[in-house]
Amino acid sequence: MVQETEITAAEMADVYPRVAQTIADALGCDRERVQPDLSLIDDLGAESIDFLDIVFRLERGFKVKIPRGQIIEDARGDLSEAEFAQRGVLTEAGLSRLRAYLSEVPAARFRARLKLADVPALFTPHTFCKVVARARRNGQP
Amino acid sequence: MRSELQRPDAGVGPGPTGNVISGLELPYRFLFVDHITTLEIGRRVEGRYTVPPAVAVLSPCLVAEAIGQLAAWAAMVEHDFCLRPVAALTAAARVHAPAVAGQTLELAVDIESSATDAVAYSGTARTAAAPVVEVSGCVGAMQPMEEFDDSTQLRSQLEVLRGLPRPASGERDPGVETLTFTAAWRISEHVPGRHIRAQLWVPESAPYFADHFPRKPVFPATLLLDAQLRLALELAGTLPRRSPAQPRVREVHDLKLRRFILPGQTIETNAEVRSVTATTAAIDLSAAVGTRVSSAGVSIDLEPR
Repeated sequence: MVQETEITAAEMADVYPRVAQTIADALGCDRERVQPDLSLIDDLGAESIDFLDIVFRLERGFKVKIPRGQIIEDARGDLSEAEFAQRGVLTEAGLSRLRAYLSEVPAARFRARLKLADVPALFTPHTFCKVVARARRNGQP
Repeated sequence: MRSELQRPDAGVGPGPTGNVISGLELPYRFLFVDHITTLEIGRRVEGRYTVPPAVAVLSPCLVAEAIGQLAAWAAMVEHDFCLRPVAALTAAARVHAPAVAGQTLELAVDIESSATDAVAYSGTARTAAAPVVEVSGCVGAMQPMEEFDDSTQLRSQLEVLRGLPRPASGERDPGVETLTFTAAWRISEHVPGRHIRAQLWVPESAPYFADHFPRKPVFPATLLLDAQLRLALELAGTLPRRSPAQPRVREVHDLKLRRFILPGQTIETNAEVRSVTATTAAIDLSAAVGTRVSSAGVSIDLEPR
């Protein structure tokens, strides 16, 4: 089963302003440019180092622990690694799981034979709101 | 003409037309930990570094390098020398006091988290009397060791560092320990009180590339930052001030290194005033080699504190 990832409107309203400001600070852009459903890579120009930056800023700001690779692991759920992806490419089942997990991402962005390495291009500010909200629910650290 | 390392007595030759030459004293070896005194894996590491006698004042960037190198030792030991960190992020680096010739710096690093992709830490360098540099929110990105260093040599080096203290760096081989990094600049645009744009030529070869890193020479980000801070101070010097005292760097913040700078590359840098008060200037720094390679902010005291 896919883990419960949706966050309530109240949770979103609670975390979004700080998540958006954190992303703006990490990317060096205006806060207004950050919108919930933009792709961090394709729309906001983020690079891999920016994801590291964002995660550490969120950890410090929200006092939570966000294990790297958590989004992929949560999306995989109870699928085995081989069931989720093979030779670095998501299987049909893996893609389905990912699409369900990243429900905030427009369906058109999920293309067939998606590589694991390209999954971060799907992440949005909304995705990080979910990650933070889940970490807070779990009472981490 | 490229910038190059020269002995202090070798003089400085002419650089590119219309350039500015600034000399940074640095030890011949780009190794800034003499002794590791405490090593608690995954938690804390302490060590020492003595400023070579021939280096009058050690750049605060190189003091920060010492803290980073100590953190790197801790991370490499934790990952059994299969991975090593490279500088990536620093939330804040506070400059308290200069580190001068012959002073022994007590280095301490607290590891905040450590995983296969990154190590996060904070740290200090201080003399017996006072703090010199403090860093916080530092993140080193972990890389495969074999791409950068020889793990066998590093293990041997660690044994030496954990053994009896070595003589102060400058006493080991006087005369060849200290060189001057001669940064050759061409300032392409200078609008006093607003911004400076300049080019920095990275040498094709230099002694520090042997240590940074043996298998993949990379221009140390701390040398780039030192050069950028010189530009920022020059820019701050054009701002209205009440005191004749020279501006000084108080804090570097939000430093992010996006990619490696390789020998022979030309770096385009920019220092731009973001805001000014009666006592402080905030300046944004950026560097690019075709595409952006680093960014940071710096707070400069315009008046003595």
